[in-house]
Amino acid sequence: MEHTQSRDACWHSRHHSKMAVCIAVIAKENYPLYIRSVPVQNELKFHYTVHTSLDVVEEKISAVGKAMADQRELYLGLLYPTEDYKVYGYVTNSKVKFVIVVDSSNTSLRDNEIRSMFRKLHNSFTDVMCNPFYNPGDTIQSKAFDSMVSAMMVQAS
Amino acid sequence: MSIPDYMQCAEDHQTVLVVVQPVGIVPEDEFFRIYKRIASVAQVSIRDSQRNLYIRYRHHYLPENNEWGDFQTHRKVVGLISVTTCGSAKEWPQTSDRFHSQKDVFGATLYDSRLLVFGLQGEIAEQQRTDVAFYSSYDVCPDVEKRVEDFVESIFIVLESKRLDRATDKSGDKIPLLCVPFEKKDFVGLDTDSRHYKKRCQGRMRKHVGDLCLQAGMLQDALVHYHMAVELLRSVNDFLWLGAALEGLCSASVIFHYPGGTAGKAAGRKPSLAQGQGQAADAGKRHRPGALTANGISADTSSEIGRAKNCLRPEDIIEKYKEAISYYGKYKNAGVIELEACVKAVRVLAIQKRAMEASEFLQNAVYINLGQLSEEEKIQRYSILSELYDLIGFHRKSAFFKRVAAMQCVAPTIPEPGWRACYKLLLETLPGYSLCLDPKDFSKGTHRGWAAVQVRLLHELVYASRRMGNPGLSVRHLSFLLQTMLDLLSDQEKKEVTQSLENYTSKCPGGMEVITLPDGLKLPPVPLSKLPIVRSVKLLDLPVSLRPHKQKGLLENNMSTKSPFIYSPIIMHTRGEERNKKIEFRWVQGDVCEVQLMVYNPMPFELRVEHMGLLTSGVEFESLPAGLSLPAESGLYPVTLVGVPRTAGNINVNGYHTSVFGVTSDCLLEGLPSVRTSGCMVEVIPSLPRLQLSTSLPRSAHPLQHSKEELSSSVSVQLFNGETQQLTITLENIGSEDLETLEVTSKTCNTKEKLFGEFLSWDLEEAVSQLPLKPGQSVTLTVNIKVRLDFSGGENLLQDLNDDGISVTGLPSSSPLRQVLKPRAETKPLGSESSKTDYNHVKTLEAVMTFKYSGGAGKVEGYYRDLTLGVHVDVEPSVFFTRVSTLPATRTRQCHLLLDVFNSTEHELTVSANNNQDLVLHASECQRMAIQVAKFDFDTLPQPDQEAVRYTNPKLLEEERLHTQASMINSTLGITWNIPSVRRQGEASVEGVLNQLVLEHLQLAPLQWDVVVNGKPCDCDIIADCKVGDAVPLEVKLTNRSKNAVGPFALTVVPFQDYQNGVKNYDLQDAVTFIGSNTFNIDTVNPTEDSVCMGALLFLYTGDFYLNIKFQDDNAGQGNEVPPSWFGLPSIHIKALEAPIEAGA
Repeated sequence: MEHTQSRDACWHSRHHSKMAVCIAVIAKENYPLYIRSVPVQNELKFHYTVHTSLDVVEEKISAVGKAMADQRELYLGLLYPTEDYKVYGYVTNSKVKFVIVVDSSNTSLRDNEIRSMFRKLHNSFTDVMCNPFYNPGDTIQSKAFDSMVSAMMVQAS
Repeated sequence: MSIPDYMQCAEDHQTVLVVVQPVGIVPEDEFFRIYKRIASVAQVSIRDSQRNLYIRYRHHYLPENNEWGDFQTHRKVVGLISVTTCGSAKEWPQTSDRFHSQKDVFGATLYDSRLLVFGLQGEIAEQQRTDVAFYSSYDVCPDVEKRVEDFVESIFIVLESKRLDRATDKSGDKIPLLCVPFEKKDFVGLDTDSRHYKKRCQGRMRKHVGDLCLQAGMLQDALVHYHMAVELLRSVNDFLWLGAALEGLCSASVIFHYPGGTAGKAAGRKPSLAQGQGQAADAGKRHRPGALTANGISADTSSEIGRAKNCLRPEDIIEKYKEAISYYGKYKNAGVIELEACVKAVRVLAIQKRAMEASEFLQNAVYINLGQLSEEEKIQRYSILSELYDLIGFHRKSAFFKRVAAMQCVAPTIPEPGWRACYKLLLETLPGYSLCLDPKDFSKGTHRGWAAVQVRLLHELVYASRRMGNPGLSVRHLSFLLQTMLDLLSDQEKKEVTQSLENYTSKCPGGMEVITLPDGLKLPPVPLSKLPIVRSVKLLDLPVSLRPHKQKGLLENNMSTKSPFIYSPIIMHTRGEERNKKIEFRWVQGDVCEVQLMVYNPMPFELRVEHMGLLTSGVEFESLPAGLSLPAESGLYPVTLVGVPRTAGNINVNGYHTSVFGVTSDCLLEGLPSVRTSGCMVEVIPSLPRLQLSTSLPRSAHPLQHSKEELSSSVSVQLFNGETQQLTITLENIGSEDLETLEVTSKTCNTKEKLFGEFLSWDLEEAVSQLPLKPGQSVTLTVNIKVRLDFSGGENLLQDLNDDGISVTGLPSSSPLRQVLKPRAETKPLGSESSKTDYNHVKTLEAVMTFKYSGGAGKVEGYYRDLTLGVHVDVEPSVFFTRVSTLPATRTRQCHLLLDVFNSTEHELTVSANNNQDLVLHASECQRMAIQVAKFDFDTLPQPDQEAVRYTNPKLLEEERLHTQASMINSTLGITWNIPSVRRQGEASVEGVLNQLVLEHLQLAPLQWDVVVNGKPCDCDIIADCKVGDAVPLEVKLTNRSKNAVGPFALTVVPFQDYQNGVKNYDLQDAVTFIGSNTFNIDTVNPTEDSVCMGALLFLYTGDFYLNIKFQDDNAGQGNEVPPSWFGLPSIHIKALEAPIEAGA
């Protein structure tokens, strides 16, 4: 029973997954704290994608007036679409950025679902920060965080 | 129209296009010189109208693009300036023909043209022609600008006439249909009389007139025409032209709102143009149409009409641009127009600081398909995208496209890859990836950045520079990669990077020079401070024997600390200061100095470091580089770098120098905050001589036990107690300076053993007489090692001694015991075995000899060096005295010293003393020997001076006194031993066994009694002769040597006879009579004085008589003051003889 289910999941993952292909956490100073993508062999491409998306993130943050910073919504929405991917952004109040890249062909993914992914990511990140053995600014190596991210990502088939 | 002009901006719509081209052979640089001068006339103020005409110059323009001139008039070439060289009149016709054929290229659209002829002189040149200007050379053409201005004015006249012609072209006449090249075939066979068609014609013409108005400086007119055109064209759904009309509206509004222009920095590539535009913009601001001027209302009458209404608000401009672009997008063939419109809109948005919307336009521009693009066009497109992204502040995106452009330069499809261009573009992407090629930026801690992307970029830089044929650059970039990204590379990558680095350095070794690229970018040197990683730097002191010391007297004031407090718990220095802190010790000029580095190798393979040396400043320093090989991922590994300071002064160790994988690096400590150091500044003092010490005795392996200091060398020797050994020390000057002074001192280490006599003694005179000692020469010094220790075991024995019955009494015995040679060993064996081993155990004696020497320049500065020699002596007991006692001798001034001598060696041994016969002792035998000694007058010993007495502990003083007394006794006795079997000999000291009691007995009493009988001084063993019947004068003299006055005393003389059998006869009233009293009185005698009392005796019979002089205790109360031993009066032996008969007869 389980076997068939998992095979089904694999079958659909290329086209109908509600999952991300790349998830990144960017520090306040705009360097990556964590970045993971599923087609591992093309990791560099996602590095470029996430890196360039920061321009938009910064622009969006600065667009909101400083006075409004408190009320600002953390979710930034679609940063920009490329031919193959859609890039979504989220900024915490401490200016830590989360970026989620999803396949453009993945039309079933609603804005609400993206939001909830970011919320999960944020919660897990908060847990990481609460770890007294974690130095803020270091790359994230938490296993719990990693497995949470894995759960949100497309399983490489 | 296939090639977009990415440099276009909205205000270009108001310019007229003039093409400047060379005709025939014109040297390129000369052409561009002229071109620049022409292009400087970018804006011309038209006489009488206060309008400005803006000119856009191009030296290259596709005729194909010219065909779009009706669509947007700024695309139309309206003027042509040809530049030509014409050497002679003969060539002139040909040149003229060429000019005409060139005019034909742009044919129909040209309003006017000019030919600038250079080099031609003579008849032809003198004719006045408006369309041709003659100049003798490229250098002599002062009125080029004037000519161009005239030319522009003539263009303006044509433009103005066309504008008026078209603007007044009212209905009635048939309006021609303007169209773009690709439309022409679409309109074939269309009904030209339809309303629809007419409207189309009208709308297009309106738009065209708007363009002309804009170019002619009638901004408000232009706006009005554009609005009308928009309405007309919208009604007939002529989308392409509607787009153009909208764009025209936008352009006019932009020109109105942003007189400064929108080209911004992007136009920086063409400085002359930008400058021209800048001027134009300024002028435009001043003479904005409609503005009130000094002359009243400007000539542009239209400006007052509905200015506010017609001009778009800044925020609306983009909406119209969007609309226009969406219309362009409907036509595949208008891709270039669409793209250019996007670019123009982005520039406007950049000015408006609306980056997000601008990025949307750009995103759109990326997807505009222009059909098959050549590689060059692709590169251009990507670079312009990059520039535009940069303009709106999207630096990362900009970097991304720049990198794409760079990659495009070397795409595999290109037959001749442009590595140089690729490299240049890659360099420009660096800021976008927040990568700076200065390694100093990375020394601030762990690397934080987009490592994967950065590593990739660096690899690309390395590859591009290699393909460019510049291995020096590759080496620099690879070193940078290795230095800054080391922690992020995998083991495999580390191997690969270092391997390729080695490959490159074999062609071009890496160094520390700054590489300056042709475009002025400087690549700072990359010291490989992580290969190996240095953890700490520690300057080492010189070896003990070479350390310089400062003469005490010359010690500088050390109190010059910053704080007024002697001690403060607050530590004032920071880490930086610590580095500059001066180190306590000193180095010496000309001597090898060492610095210890703790290094480790972070690489997964063996690291070979060559030429590792020190970098210093302040003093001339000869670094002696070392090579080392560190195992893979070694732990901390000590490396000692050496060098020789060649001058004196303060030396600062700034860093170190390495050569790894062919890259030489100068790693400065100030750039390496992770290096621990306890100071890098040390004083180098002027050179000092250097001595090498060698001795006649074998060196000892083990250091001295009791000495804490480090010693240059040490010797060890085994001696029997009391033995003397000669040690010859050879000092050789192995330095380069003369040895000028030499002092020798010695210090016995703090041993508990009591040592008698001088342990080490020497005579320096001879050695000193040989100074100064030149380099290479040597001097010898003989040192006597003399060990005299007390093996007797201290108090136990003395206790024994005192308890012993046969001990001494101060009172004279009746009979002189000449010798007491009782074999003591048999009668009283020396305790148990354990006590025997006590006596036998080996004692050690250690001393340090210090040779203080100096010379050369260092001596002038007050420095000297120490050479220390440790002397270790194992002392075996030889003979010692288990017991000592005294017996009074027959004379009061003498006594017998009885010594029980024990031979603790395993050899037969002979003991001898001054004036005494030898005593042979077998191993472990004890015998008593008696030595007759004269009592000692300790007062003759030198007194310690008053100064010393005052400051010394009285107890110490007492000890000192005892010691001198004992040594005096010892030297008088002169007891020596000799072991014939091993040919060893030495002295035996009694010093240790002498106690207070014995000393008292050996001391002359302070009251000295002299008895003179018959004018003859008497003592116990002297027999005074006298004659029976004669009066024998008896004189008793008391000399007071004590410190106090003594007396008065009463002395009674008691005569007796000793029968030598123990019977003494005191009943001698018949035999001896006194003349006068038999009692003498001596008055008080003050110190150092003497007193004499006289009496006389008369012997009545012959015989041997003794006189005993007794004290009559007069002053019982004070008698205790004087110890009885002081009254050591001799007993007097008088032999009364028969008076000679003859005399009597």
